[in-house]
Amino acid sequence: MSILADKNTRVLVQGITGIQASFHVKRSIDNGTNVVAGTSPNYTQGEHLGVPVFANVREAVKNMPIDASVLFVPARAVKQAVREAVEAGVKLAVSIAQGVPVHDMLEIKAMLKGSQTMLIGPNTPGLMTPNEARLGIFSEDLLHQGSIGIISRASTLTYEGILETNAAGLGQSTVIGLGDDMIIGTDFCPLLEKFMEDDATKAVVLIGKADNAYELQAAECYAKLPHKKPVIAFVAGESLPFASTMGYAADILTHGLTSVQDKKKVLSAAGMTVVDRMNYIHQALADLHLND
Amino acid sequence: MNIHEYQAKQILAQYGIEVPAGGIAYTPTEAKRVAQKISARGPWMLKAQIQAGARHSGYFLEHAANSKGGIRQVTQIKNVAYETSQMLGNTLVTEQTGAKGKLVSKVYVEAFKHVKRLFYAGIIIDSSLPAMVLLVSDVVDRDLLDFKTGEDDKILRLPLSYNEPINDSRLMRILDFLSLDKTHLEGFREFFNKLRVTFVNLDAQMIEINPVGVTRTKKLLALDAKINFDDNALFRHPDIWRMHDDYEEEPRVLKAKRNGFHYAEFDGNIGCIVNGEGLALEAMDVIRSKGWNTACALNVKGGVDKDKIAQGIKIIMTNPRVEGILINILGGFLRCNLIADGIIAATQEVGLNVPMIVRLEGTNKDEARTILRQTNLPIVFAENTNEAIDKLIEKMEIND
Repeated sequence: MSILADKNTRVLVQGITGIQASFHVKRSIDNGTNVVAGTSPNYTQGEHLGVPVFANVREAVKNMPIDASVLFVPARAVKQAVREAVEAGVKLAVSIAQGVPVHDMLEIKAMLKGSQTMLIGPNTPGLMTPNEARLGIFSEDLLHQGSIGIISRASTLTYEGILETNAAGLGQSTVIGLGDDMIIGTDFCPLLEKFMEDDATKAVVLIGKADNAYELQAAECYAKLPHKKPVIAFVAGESLPFASTMGYAADILTHGLTSVQDKKKVLSAAGMTVVDRMNYIHQALADLHLND
Repeated sequence: MNIHEYQAKQILAQYGIEVPAGGIAYTPTEAKRVAQKISARGPWMLKAQIQAGARHSGYFLEHAANSKGGIRQVTQIKNVAYETSQMLGNTLVTEQTGAKGKLVSKVYVEAFKHVKRLFYAGIIIDSSLPAMVLLVSDVVDRDLLDFKTGEDDKILRLPLSYNEPINDSRLMRILDFLSLDKTHLEGFREFFNKLRVTFVNLDAQMIEINPVGVTRTKKLLALDAKINFDDNALFRHPDIWRMHDDYEEEPRVLKAKRNGFHYAEFDGNIGCIVNGEGLALEAMDVIRSKGWNTACALNVKGGVDKDKIAQGIKIIMTNPRVEGILINILGGFLRCNLIADGIIAATQEVGLNVPMIVRLEGTNKDEARTILRQTNLPIVFAENTNEAIDKLIEKMEIND
């Protein structure tokens, strides 16, 4: 078991013929991912990497069932690509590109509202259930099948989280990079909820960072969950000088609640185990005695 | 990306928002000429154009004894050139510039406007909604900051629709909040909707008008203006991109940006090269926890070009504050051997005379280590972030 994607998930790749997409999709297929089709605006028939390629998502879903889509399209094409996935009713979309305009994200969030689609990212290494589904660009050799769910808002620190769970001898059920951007498709809350219901997951590692308020929301919904599994939380950026780059407006908006210290306090009050350094995570996991 | 006040006002004027008559001056003589052109009798406002706030309460390094700041009101035309000359070519320090201050190379000369009322207006994106949010406050200037926590009733926050104009009932809420009667509705409707359209059309991340002036005829005037644009959307706005003032940025920051990297400088002595924002934050936190500080952090992101990576490493190596270098590369997109090639190319050009600790984890890491070992450069390897920083500090303490 896992959340969001496993070996049965039928995966579409939007923008499959690109150089980076080709490199990573081949690795995903080799790792066991059930890639069934791709799209490319300039490649309206034929095959690539052994799967059929369609002009758009609508054409693909007409021809075969699709459960999830990975978007390897460039940042400026992400809005249109998400629109295609939403309109075709694809349940899960994962967008990798870095540099999607913030206003595009405002429009994307409006599209997602009331739709069937959950968007992970953008600006993320993606999501991965080890040996079953690699939807993105994770270094698959670092991941090991196991019992820890990871949700991270700092792409590169996701790997630190993976290495820490490996060091604890536990491995991962599913690893999800939410994306580093100011506005992201999905926040911690729905994923925490899914991990709590997932049989394979015994505990969760949550990795947050200094900007925005996503960790505060995570604390709020975790506190309300009826069935809780342990969550080890880390928030990066406590040494950042608190200087606003956006004038008074940004300071006003945050209600004075952006410091890493404040986030840690709130997460801890919600019942999570908060660690001060990334490399304390493996010990915190070991202290849970999950293998006993 | 930030722009200057005079540029922001040009943009607002293009969108139909009223701003005082004004012009830019690079010399005192030019300032006098502009002043005469825009107003026969004055008074005039002289405003130093630097991209930092709190100019009024700032001071000039060169005239530390004279407490006059970067915004001055002049009532007689004969004083315009002199007051301008006091600012041009000098360094303005405000609470937002840091102790180094910023060099003033242009002054905006503006007609002084009598207004009945001042208030603060801003639009920003609230990521937690997510939506554009209009902020209005009766409090102007820096006093606003005192209300950022707690006293929420001093600030009105109104989420705005991305596609639809601001309707009259919301505008009435603004008027109520400011205790203004509904004879002001017309002026407010015009001003706030034009401000909203400016924000949406130009991919702005933040617009601040601090303050807005309300005239006797109930018109709204932008007396100051600050706009920040989304760098990722500038491809849609080449005209905005051309407004970029290279002199506003530190040369090393600018150089990093040209290579597609993110680079920031701090007060410490350790230079960090990482491939993600999270890793930079983690490195800084760990360095601080061991009693040291970071000099600079270069995020090469998913860079795939060896030459650009070499450029990036050179930026760190030429920062005089740097007494030790941490290279921490982790995971997926970036191939470790490119980092190794970049290190070698950079050291061949500028040498390596400070300790360097390298931690590589991910695609092609073994190949990268082999390449670096063959160079005989004094590079030490580490297995994780914590160990890397410990080893680096140990070496730096020996050098002390």
